[in-house]
Amino acid sequence: MSNPSMASSAAVTGSSSPLLRGFIRWSITFILVVVAVVALYPLAFTFVNSLKTRADFAGNALGLPTGLTFENYVQTFGRMNVPQLLFNTTITTAGGLFLSTVAALFVAYAVTKLQLKGGNWVFLFIISMLVIPSQVVIYPLYETILNLGLGGTYQGLILSYAAFGLPISTYMLVAFFRAIPDELVEAARIDGASELRIMFQLMLPISTPALAAISILNFVWMWNDLLLPLVIMGGSEKTTLMVGVALLSGQYDVSIPLISAGLIVALLPVLVVYFLFQRQILSGALAGAIK
Amino acid sequence: MIETSSPVDRPRSRPGKRREPGGLLGIALVVPAIVLVVVFKLIPLVRAFILSLYETQGFADPTFAWFRNYQGMLKDPTFWGSFRNAALVFLTLPVWIMLPLLLALLIFQRVPGWKLFRAAYFLPYMIAPVVVGIMFRQILAPDGPLNAMLIGIGLAPFATEWLNGSSSALFSLTAVALWAFFGLGVLTYLSGLSTVSDEVIEAARLDGAGFWTLLVYIIAPLLKSVIGYWTVLCTSSMLIWMFPLIYALTRGGPGKATMLPEYLVFLTTFEFLDRGRGAAIGMALFVFAAAISAFVVRRMYAEGKGRT
Repeated sequence: MSNPSMASSAAVTGSSSPLLRGFIRWSITFILVVVAVVALYPLAFTFVNSLKTRADFAGNALGLPTGLTFENYVQTFGRMNVPQLLFNTTITTAGGLFLSTVAALFVAYAVTKLQLKGGNWVFLFIISMLVIPSQVVIYPLYETILNLGLGGTYQGLILSYAAFGLPISTYMLVAFFRAIPDELVEAARIDGASELRIMFQLMLPISTPALAAISILNFVWMWNDLLLPLVIMGGSEKTTLMVGVALLSGQYDVSIPLISAGLIVALLPVLVVYFLFQRQILSGALAGAIK
Repeated sequence: MIETSSPVDRPRSRPGKRREPGGLLGIALVVPAIVLVVVFKLIPLVRAFILSLYETQGFADPTFAWFRNYQGMLKDPTFWGSFRNAALVFLTLPVWIMLPLLLALLIFQRVPGWKLFRAAYFLPYMIAPVVVGIMFRQILAPDGPLNAMLIGIGLAPFATEWLNGSSSALFSLTAVALWAFFGLGVLTYLSGLSTVSDEVIEAARLDGAGFWTLLVYIIAPLLKSVIGYWTVLCTSSMLIWMFPLIYALTRGGPGKATMLPEYLVFLTTFEFLDRGRGAAIGMALFVFAAAISAFVVRRMYAEGKGRT
């Protein structure tokens, strides 16, 4: 990335007169602000509604609440078992993320640094599985999971997540490993390091940028996915937060303030992750990797 | 088809290389990944094809029916309607490509606070589509904030029942999807723009190039591959991003106005319990989606393959 601190040197609008330039910059800022409002308003609207009482919302759907109430949050926790759902989502996302990353790491190492015979074919085979989206195979996938005795279990969902995250993880790690000079690995071999040690103690640490990008991409879709947990877990004890929210919103007697509170609860963990890892997510680690 | 089983080492060209057993260990390392994708992707795909050849009604035993599901599917107006709707969604593709590009170019001007704008634009992408859908059910409600704003600024004739009109519903669904995904496009373009060096721009400017000259002759050619990537990604994903949005917003309605192939597969399989027909529609969607995403795979392969 070009140095972002060189404030306007990369600007394309450099050569006009100062007055015109000022006008252009104000117009640009104005457009950007309008789009930012469009991007953020739905969240603000939902948050504000979650703090209203039913009566307050009925009389004043669009304005600020007349008084704050946390009743909706209390009710959300009463109607769905938030800690359990959160636990389910966390364990399945973490499991899927971990399995997918480890399997991709193994493939990437074997294909790029062990010069596995037919390695390019293995690589092509795995990334070509990208053309099979879960929507297309959802029922046979469910049947297969049932046949394996994994229906309604964490393992069933974790393995599905891992498989559907694998093509992109493998691609990213293989592309990253290709850029690491073979001499580095050779040197470690000459020093007598075993292959597994080279993989975990040499390649793994230098792959942090690629691992970060994979984790972000996979975290976002696994955490947020609806179809796989909906079909594999249904409305069971082990279902995920997103299925829980979808089912809550389908109950006939929920008020809008109540469902708003449910939505805020569902998106809060992702917001926290976003604020914590904002720099890694936005600095191009993600976008650079999906070029 | 795939050569994974030969433990024979390839002859080494460079001298002085100690050869570790790449063979056995290498095979052991690729097995987990291959097992995962075969069991959870390839086998289900094959089973989907087999299932599509069976007639299934409710919980009765399936009977082999050759291509009767496909014949029925091709006679079903709902099936054609879903692909017609998909075609309409595809018509908005220029907006999906140009809007993020324009915003990325504006952010690239580095006006004060550009990092905040970038952060704000990416936020919707982080939110679960099902949550986005439920959120917009309120925003787009007849007495919701969107209509209130339109009436407030004197555009009352445009205020409508967004999710209940036969053409406004599909439009709304697509617009909500764009809201959810444009940030990813902005970020993708920004990463492409960051490879445009300041020196190049500076030099062109010293030669007297204006804004449009720079844009058309310097920036656009450098961005060509990123634009291509984003176009392919949108094209291949548009059909499979919509499920949670449809589920939360319209359930395919009103009528069949927002029925897209992926939702029709779900509906046919799990609500009409016609699994054979559902699988046949799934295969049609697969052929369509695979043809497009093959471009993504080709690109990924070119980047990650080794010298052979």
